[in-house]
Amino acid sequence: MSTDDDDATMDAADLSMMQLSDSFFPTGMYSMSNGLEAIFYSGRKIKAEELRELVKTYLEYQIGPADCTALGIAYEHAARSNLLKLLEVDRAIFSMKLVQEIRDASIRSGTQLVRCIRSFSDNKILGQYDDAIRGGQAFGPYPVALAVAANAFLIPKEKAALVMLYSFSVSIVGAALRLGMLQHFDGQKVIDELKPTIVKVTKANINRPIEGMWQFAPSIDIIQISHERMNSKMFIT
Amino acid sequence: MTAKRIPRLGIGGPVGSGKTMLIEKIVPVLAAKGYNAGIVSNDVVSREDADRMRHNLATEQGILSEDLVIGLATGGCPHTAVREDPSMNISIIEEMESKYNYLDLIIIESGGDNITTTFSPALADYFIYIIDVSGGDKYPRKRGLGIETCDLLVINKIDLAPHVGADLTIMERDAKAVRGDKPYVFVNSMTGQGIAQVTEHIIRDILFESPPKTVAKN
Repeated sequence: MSTDDDDATMDAADLSMMQLSDSFFPTGMYSMSNGLEAIFYSGRKIKAEELRELVKTYLEYQIGPADCTALGIAYEHAARSNLLKLLEVDRAIFSMKLVQEIRDASIRSGTQLVRCIRSFSDNKILGQYDDAIRGGQAFGPYPVALAVAANAFLIPKEKAALVMLYSFSVSIVGAALRLGMLQHFDGQKVIDELKPTIVKVTKANINRPIEGMWQFAPSIDIIQISHERMNSKMFIT
Repeated sequence: MTAKRIPRLGIGGPVGSGKTMLIEKIVPVLAAKGYNAGIVSNDVVSREDADRMRHNLATEQGILSEDLVIGLATGGCPHTAVREDPSMNISIIEEMESKYNYLDLIIIESGGDNITTTFSPALADYFIYIIDVSGGDKYPRKRGLGIETCDLLVINKIDLAPHVGADLTIMERDAKAVRGDKPYVFVNSMTGQGIAQVTEHIIRDILFESPPKTVAKN
């Protein structure tokens, strides 16, 4: 039987989940298109349903099996206050990010996420992870940073993964809106249609081991590399 | 190890008001006095401003090294990048602080924006807002957070005033009325008029007249 205290803790965790997934939370994700801008400037027109399929590919072949799995493993290590194991995941996911601007953006978002939460939380493992980033022992990629933050906020692991995949999807759809590729109602429709994929990708990847991390989306890698080489751009990635 | 915070100057203002050129003019004056500056240039749709400053200040004049001018895209949200969510700027500046601890100042140029631009105090210690006379002499009177709250208001392109029907006495009167005792400077960046005054404000109000780090070391 749940008590009022339990309910209050769960409500607080739900609110923390909203806080972390809110585009108002300062991680700079509004400045990332994850390569979409390169598609836009290549002159290719994309319809809403094509954008939805593109985001699905990102989720199923890149963010899901790599970032989502890293988040799940990092969360378990954070829950056990095992900093050394946390640093292993930190290195693993950092080394899997093939494109420099994507790698840099991930560690900048992750680092700022940890610092922001440390400014008002005294969670021990979060403090240790922040110290490790500041000391050069950790990189601070976003999935690991989010896992540590979610643990500090008592957000369940699966919910933390939903936050990450949702925020990622919103950042691409938001970029599409700002680039004029689709209209605002279409953007919400795409996000709504992505929900089953977000749930499915979470379930498929959240409990896999570090050896099971993978990604294979060569077309997306090429798009992201093309973006990195663009001279004139509106988005960081 | 966390690097010591280097004083940070934010420069914001509307598109075309002269932010980039102001930086191109003040950095050499600071360099002549021994002060080393790094620059982060937030651009709305390109890296043109950063490329131009890098070419001018580093490649041509050799005042600073090329990697000390960094361009940053803002996802079409220049005000967000310096105020509500300055995380990308802060992250890059912290990297500069640990790599180039000899710098005396880091200048952050905002992407061109509207009159509500302000800098987060977590990002910039001092805020210069720059407008130019070609927008009309009504500009200071229209207020806006940038004009009202900046530490130093720079009114640029004063040579154009007679050609666009702008009355500098009106701009001065309204700047005083809107800003009270806070300073303003009339500038013509093309000729260098007023640049010395801006630099004096920077040395006095941000650097607190401390000697350049390279001088203090010797």
